[in-house]
Amino acid sequence: MDLNFTAEDRQFREEAREWLNANVFKERRPHGGQEMREYDLAWQRTQYDAGWAGVSWPKEYGGMGLGLTRQLIWYEEYARAHAPDNHLCFVGLNHGGPTIIARGSEEQKKEHLRPILSGEKIWCQGFSEPNAGSDLASLKTRAVIDGDELVITGSKIWTSHGHLSDMQELLVRTDPGAPKHKGISWVIFDMNTPGLDLRPIDIMSAPNHTHFVQCFYDEARVPLKNVVGDVNDGWSVAMSTLGFERGTAQIKDQIRYAFLVEDMIKKARDRYGAEFVSTDEFGARLAQLRADMAAARAMTYMAVSRAERDVSPAMASLMRAMVGQVQQRVRRLAFDIIGADGLENPEDDDWVYFYLRSYATTIAAGTLQIQRNIIGERVLGLPRGR
Amino acid sequence: MDLLPSSDQQQIVDTIQDFLRNEAPVDRLREFGAIGNSDAKLWPKLAELGFFGLSLPEEMGGIGLSAAEEMLVFQQFGYHLISPAIFGTILGARVAAFSGDAHLRDALLSGEARVGVANSRGAAGGTDAFHLFEADEAELILLCDDDEAALYPRSAFTHIERVNSTDAVLVLERARLGDSVEPRVRVSKETENIHARALMLMGAYALGIGQGARDMAVEYAQVREQFGKPIGSFQAIKHICADMAIRSEAALCQASFAALVMDDASPDTEFHAVASKIVACESAIKNAADCVQVHGAFGFTAEANVHHYLKRSHVADRLFGGLREQRRRILTFPTPA
Ligand SMILES: Cc1cc2nc3c(=O)[nH]c(=O)nc-3n(C[C@H](O)[C@H](O)[C@H](O)COP(=O)(O)OP(=O)(O)OC[C@H]3O[C@@H](n4cnc5c(N)ncnc54)[C@H](O)[C@@H]3O)c2cc1C
Repeated sequence: MDLNFTAEDRQFREEAREWLNANVFKERRPHGGQEMREYDLAWQRTQYDAGWAGVSWPKEYGGMGLGLTRQLIWYEEYARAHAPDNHLCFVGLNHGGPTIIARGSEEQKKEHLRPILSGEKIWCQGFSEPNAGSDLASLKTRAVIDGDELVITGSKIWTSHGHLSDMQELLVRTDPGAPKHKGISWVIFDMNTPGLDLRPIDIMSAPNHTHFVQCFYDEARVPLKNVVGDVNDGWSVAMSTLGFERGTAQIKDQIRYAFLVEDMIKKARDRYGAEFVSTDEFGARLAQLRADMAAARAMTYMAVSRAERDVSPAMASLMRAMVGQVQQRVRRLAFDIIGADGLENPEDDDWVYFYLRSYATTIAAGTLQIQRNIIGERVLGLPRGR
Repeated sequence: MDLLPSSDQQQIVDTIQDFLRNEAPVDRLREFGAIGNSDAKLWPKLAELGFFGLSLPEEMGGIGLSAAEEMLVFQQFGYHLISPAIFGTILGARVAAFSGDAHLRDALLSGEARVGVANSRGAAGGTDAFHLFEADEAELILLCDDDEAALYPRSAFTHIERVNSTDAVLVLERARLGDSVEPRVRVSKETENIHARALMLMGAYALGIGQGARDMAVEYAQVREQFGKPIGSFQAIKHICADMAIRSEAALCQASFAALVMDDASPDTEFHAVASKIVACESAIKNAADCVQVHGAFGFTAEANVHHYLKRSHVADRLFGGLREQRRRILTFPTPA
C-alpha cells in the first residue's frame, strides 16, 4: 500500500495543472443542442491539439500511452481546474473507445480511436431496448448477415445524445436460435446510415432540450467488418464495455463531486452564516457527505489499484452503487441549500438542473437493484434467485 | 500509488488472522458473560509476535513499520471483536515512547502491563466525567483528546463505580478525574498526534466489525432455508447483504487512504482520520443491525453472536467521540488536497 506518486507522476501533475489552468474553457457549457456538441468537440480538440487527450490510451492511436495512475492524476487536476464535463465525449472516451482498444481488430483501432480523441466523432450507446432494459440479454434488434454486410432492423431506446452523435456502439441479435447470451454481436454503427430514424425524448431536468432518443433501424446496412470481437460473441464484449462504464469511467465524476461538496459548504456558509450551518441539520448532512466523498475518492484509488491487478469486474459494482447514491444525496442537499429559490428553474441555473439529473445516477449503467444483484451473486456468492 | 496490501503486508494480515482465528474466535465471547473480557491473556502472545510495537520506530523499541500495517492489523482486531483495551496498550506504548519513558514503554510493549481506556461521558456527565473501559485491573489508563494523549495511574480517578456494560463482555466503570492530578506520561499533539492515530485506528477497528457482521450474515443467508430455498436467494435478503458489502468497501477504501495519508505526514491526516471513523462506524452499526434482521429471531437472541457485533459497533462509535462530535469536527478542516 502506498500513496506515493513517482517524481514523473508529480511532474506530470504540475504540467497538467499548468496547462489546464491556462486553457480550460471559461464559458458555461450549454445544456443541450448543437451548441453543446460544438462546445464539447471544441474542448476535446483543444486537449488533443495540445497533446493531453487519451492519457492512458496507446500512443499509436493518438493517446499518451501512460497508465491509469496518470489518468487518475489528470482527472484530479481536471476537476480541480473546474474543466467542463464534456459529456458528449463520454461514451467514446470512457467505454466505446476502451472496448475497441481491448477487443477490436487492428483495422478498427486505426479507423475509430483517433477521431474520438481528436474531437471529430461523438459516440453513443445503443444497448437498451423498449423491452430489454435490466434484462439486456433479451434484446431483439435483429441483424441478418447478407454477404459482407449486416442488415439491421429493430429499435433502441434511451440512447443518450443519439441525435448529436456520429457513431454508436450497438448490440444486435445475430442468432435468434441460440441461447440469449450466445446470439448477440457488438457492432460499430455509423449514425448517418440510411434506414435510421430518430425520435427525440424529453427528460425531466431540462424540458427544452432533448437528452436521449429512440432509434429505429429499418434494414440499415453495416459492413460485417464493423463487428467487434466475433459474430455472436457480443455479450462478452458488452461485459467489457459495462466493466469500463461502471469502473474507470466513474473516476472523473467522483473527484468532481468532492469539489462540489466543498463548494456547497462555502455556499451554505455564505447564505446562512457559518454558525448556523454547523448547528443546523445542513451541517450534519454536509459533514456526512464530506466523509462519504472522501471515501468515494478513496474508492476510485482502489478501483485504479484493482484495475492494475486484474480483479473481477463485478467489484466495480461496489463503487458504482455507492457513488450513485452519494451523488444523489449531494444534489438533493445542494437543492435544499438554495431553499425556496429551488422552485425557480431558470435556464442558467445548474443546481436545480443537476438535482433533477441526479435521479438518473441509480438507473443508468445498470440500476442500483441490478448492481445489488451483481454484488450479491458475484461478489458475495449468494445463490441466484431464478 | 496502490491501495492494496503488498505481499509483505498480506503476510502480516495472514499471520494475525491465523492467530486470532485460533486464539480468539468470536465464540469465545459466549463464555465471558458477566465476568469480564479475558482478552488480556492474549496480550503477551501478541506482544511476542511484535504486534504491539508494529508502527513504532525501531529506536523506540518498535518494529518500524508504517501506519498502513497497523491499520490492517486493527481491522483484524475489529473483525474478531478483540477487547478495545488493545487501544489502551498499543497507543499507551506510543505515549510512553514519545514522552521518553523507555522503561514504561518496554513494559507496555511486552504486554505484561494493562492499560484501560478513559472516554468522556460528554454531555451526560460534565467535563471531568469519564467511562473507564477494561480498567478494573489496569495500572494505567489512556486518556486521549484533541490536545494531548496521556497515561494516568488508575489512582488519579475518583468516584469509581462499576456499572453494567451494554456490551456485556466489557468491564465498564464510571469515574471522575481527580483535581490537579498529573498523568504518569503525556505527549502533546505537536510532538506526536496520537489522537489522530486513535481515530484512524478506530476507523480500521470499526471497518473490521462491519466486515465481520457482513460475513456472518452472508454465511447464514447461504444455509438458512425457507420456502424450500436458501434465504440468500431472495432479493430482499440479497440486497441487504449487498448494501453491507458496499458499506464495508467504502470503509475499507477510506481506512486505507487515512493510514497512507498519515504515513506521508500530510496536513490532511486528521481530516481523513475523522472521515474514516465516520464512515467505518456507520458501516459497523448499520451492518450489525442488518445482520440482526437477516438472522430473524435467532439474531435477537444472546445465543447467536450477532448482538456482540451490534454492541461493539456502538462502543467503537462512542470511543474518542461519537458521530455527532466527529461530524462537527470534520467541518472545521480546510478543503483537503
Ligand atoms: C439518463 C440515462 C441515460 C441512459 N443512457 C443510455 C444510453 O446511452 N444507451 C443505452 O443503451 N441505455 C441508456 N440508458 C438506459 C439504462 O441502461 C436503463 O434504463 C437501465 O438499464 C434500466 O432499464 P429500464 O429503464 O428498462 O428499467 P427496467 O429494467 O424496466 O427496470 C424497472 C425497475 O425494475 C427493477 N428491476 C428490473 N429487473 C430487476 C431484477 N432482476 N431485480 C430487481 N429489480 C429489477 C429496476 O431496478 C427498476 O427499478 C440510460 C438511462 C438513463 C436514465
